Amino acid sequence: MNMAFKNETFRDDYTFTNSPEAIRRFPFPFDKDEYMYSVNIEQHTKGAPGSVFENVIDLDEHYLAECEDRRITLADDPDRCIALPHMMDAQWDMLELGMESLAKDFPEHFQLSRDGDNWHWVNKPLDIEQKFVFGDLSTLPMEPFEFISRQLQGDWVVMDQRDEDLFADMGMVTSQADWSLAFDAGMSFKEWHGPVPQANEMGIFERALKYLLHLQYGSPVRRLNWTMTVNPRLDTSPENYPIWGPDNVSVTANNVADKVFLRVELQTLFRLPRSNAITFGIRGYLISVRDIATYPRWAKRLHRVLTNLHPDLAEYKGLTNYRQLVIDWLAPMDDGADIGEGTHPE
Amino acid sequence: MSVLNVTVEKVEQITDVVKQFTFVQDNGEALPKFSGGSHVVVSMDINGRTHRNPYSLMSSPANTDSYQIAVRRQDKSRGGSVFMHDQVKPGTKLTITYPVNLFAINRLGKKHILVAGGIGITPFMSQIADLNRLGADYELHYAYRSSEHAAFREQLEELCGDRVHFYVEGDGTRIDFGDLLGQQPLGTHAYVCGPEPMVKMMLLTAKYLGWPSNHVHSEQFLAPPVGDEFTVVLNQSAKEIVVPGDMSMLEAMEEAGVDAPFLCRGGACGRCELDVLETDGALLHHDHYLSDAEKAAGNKIMPCVSRAKCTRLVVNL
Amino acid sequence: MERGYRIRSKPLYDPLIWKEHATDHVVIAHAEGGVGVLKLFQMMTPKQPIKVLFADDARAQRSYRDIISKLVDEGLQILDDKEGVLSAVSATLDDCVMGTQFYIAGNEDFIWAASQILKSAGVDDKNVMKEQCGSLARPVYCVHCKTIDPEVHHNVYTCPGCGRHLFVRDHFSRRLGAYMGLMVDAEEPGNIPEVEEMYP
Repeated sequence: MNMAFKNETFRDDYTFTNSPEAIRRFPFPFDKDEYMYSVNIEQHTKGAPGSVFENVIDLDEHYLAECEDRRITLADDPDRCIALPHMMDAQWDMLELGMESLAKDFPEHFQLSRDGDNWHWVNKPLDIEQKFVFGDLSTLPMEPFEFISRQLQGDWVVMDQRDEDLFADMGMVTSQADWSLAFDAGMSFKEWHGPVPQANEMGIFERALKYLLHLQYGSPVRRLNWTMTVNPRLDTSPENYPIWGPDNVSVTANNVADKVFLRVELQTLFRLPRSNAITFGIRGYLISVRDIATYPRWAKRLHRVLTNLHPDLAEYKGLTNYRQLVIDWLAPMDDGADIGEGTHPE
Repeated sequence: MSVLNVTVEKVEQITDVVKQFTFVQDNGEALPKFSGGSHVVVSMDINGRTHRNPYSLMSSPANTDSYQIAVRRQDKSRGGSVFMHDQVKPGTKLTITYPVNLFAINRLGKKHILVAGGIGITPFMSQIADLNRLGADYELHYAYRSSEHAAFREQLEELCGDRVHFYVEGDGTRIDFGDLLGQQPLGTHAYVCGPEPMVKMMLLTAKYLGWPSNHVHSEQFLAPPVGDEFTVVLNQSAKEIVVPGDMSMLEAMEEAGVDAPFLCRGGACGRCELDVLETDGALLHHDHYLSDAEKAAGNKIMPCVSRAKCTRLVVNL
Repeated sequence: MERGYRIRSKPLYDPLIWKEHATDHVVIAHAEGGVGVLKLFQMMTPKQPIKVLFADDARAQRSYRDIISKLVDEGLQILDDKEGVLSAVSATLDDCVMGTQFYIAGNEDFIWAASQILKSAGVDDKNVMKEQCGSLARPVYCVHCKTIDPEVHHNVYTCPGCGRHLFVRDHFSRRLGAYMGLMVDAEEPGNIPEVEEMYP
């Protein structure tokens, strides 16, 4: 894949932009005019070429910029990366998953060569070269999970499976949609999903948990989740809410198309072999409302989804301040025609 | 469900009723890594029917060039173990699932008490490899009938040193569960795998001593029991499938080409659960998964081991 | 939020009752938790060995140590204060075996301080009986500066660490033993909702 990595920011001056290719491959999540929670899990098999589903772990033009944004967030708040003591096996499992996937899918950027437990890793974009012994902590500059997750786009939460439940005992969380790893670390599946409205009553989480407890090694799954945010900001954490909170009330009819972004999470779930843990990849993709309108079909669909959205969901997703402004900006593009089901742009 | 194509590399007679099988992958690659306590489901073609039996992985998770399982010959069974003993030889090709772990060590445990009876030693073999590697505090208590049945005794002595204790029924030594479970420090987890009376005794003793139920773990693969023939109707496809007396509902559905979900095939994990829409008879629950209330309510069934005494059973598939 | 909705991380507490099957019992209580202890012993004194670790709240009007001393004839330790009880818990754990049932009674801050000590010894809080007694005051964790205020009575309070005005959420972390406090006026600084005593 021929990819130029961009130099852009996700904070302060927000120079982030999407190339036309990034817009075209954006994982637009709405296939119907109304949105409601569902477990909506599918097998994480090789998807359409060029799509975000093509590879095990997706890499795009924002790779270097996102890694840099992560580095800044961590420097300011090391608690964005937590690994409870019993998770060491899972740390090595995760390192293996990350390195194997990147080396296999993007050989022009990453190389992994192994001689038994002697591994040699090369990450060309980040200019990292590391020889180490798999399983030997003393041969890496930092713990394995932090080492690899600093080189991956997206957040990663690793869950220990015990007691017929899953516990968020490890994570690298620097691009979250308003939840705190420092607070949630150690919580069970239902506990950390506690704040989500409506879905609990629908038994969604009971079913999802039962399903995940049987997730098999070699058969990963994926689903999409979405929210909206003001400015292309990755770090919309509760910790830094004092910084980004004011942006929520800064949207006007004049700036809405460029300031409000759709944020779609590609969530992937893998069983890890040695630890029997489950890793949960939460990969965020940002696109401005204006860029969404590049494709009329998407503009109409988003207009309808937001119009029909249950107020509790809108409140939980933090959209109440600007939802109507987005609806108003999109309205002229919606002729009410039936566009059928499906997320395709054209 | 993903499968692995393997060839039997070696078959060893361990005792007069226990054989150990070593598998390697057909494509020459190492087999997938796994966590101690995992099992694989082996598919076998017996007289034109596909049988699938779960077997614990005994080999060390650290070396997956091959997998090892041990099978105890049960004459009064549906044929899986007899097939493995009589038909499977070096060179035989089989398909197996990826490893699945329904009997994992609790990673917060401060100490682990492992209790094995007879062939129930198998899941502990791979757990011990992990426990040794992690430097965990554990004890293995292994009860078997007589010295001829001491499968893997030497191997265990080597792996566990003084952490293993043997109880030979023939010599009159038995595990005293009250004694064993009455003295353990806080944070201990106990694991048992073996004949049903032993498992029951251990669970009951733990309960009466006040052990919280989430600190006691058991693995028991149930063989699907035999019964009367009945017809299962798949509501969504209107398919009608006859379930013979010696085949499980799940097996009958699979023979009929239905892609029914399953995982452990032993009534333990819940993966194969189906909603029962109607029946003109009674459900016969043989699983460990549904609660007593759910079994009594009669609107769910685990087709891998449970049956029905009826002419028709309609499920939501 | 709509009616019928409750946040699943918020702990629910139950009145203490003796566990039928146990090797021994350890009761840990502070201040109004003394009432929980009294209720237990007025129900019955179980056959198995018992330990009771209790301290009154020196600031409180009511004291329970005297009545407790009359009802509990074995294994009773009266400590001076909350810290004394927690130290006594740590000290007693080495002697405890699997099968020991633990009971905690007191306010939320005390319950979770004791639970954390038990957890480090391998006791899952799921298996510990907990009764919330007396004040509904909440321990709250400021997600911005990570300071925990152990006793918050109002829906909005000022963080002792960073001075921000925080709204007290129902989302609770057992690991931290606290509810989350989140800045209430980030979007419109100074615009603070009516401060009400919600957790008397």
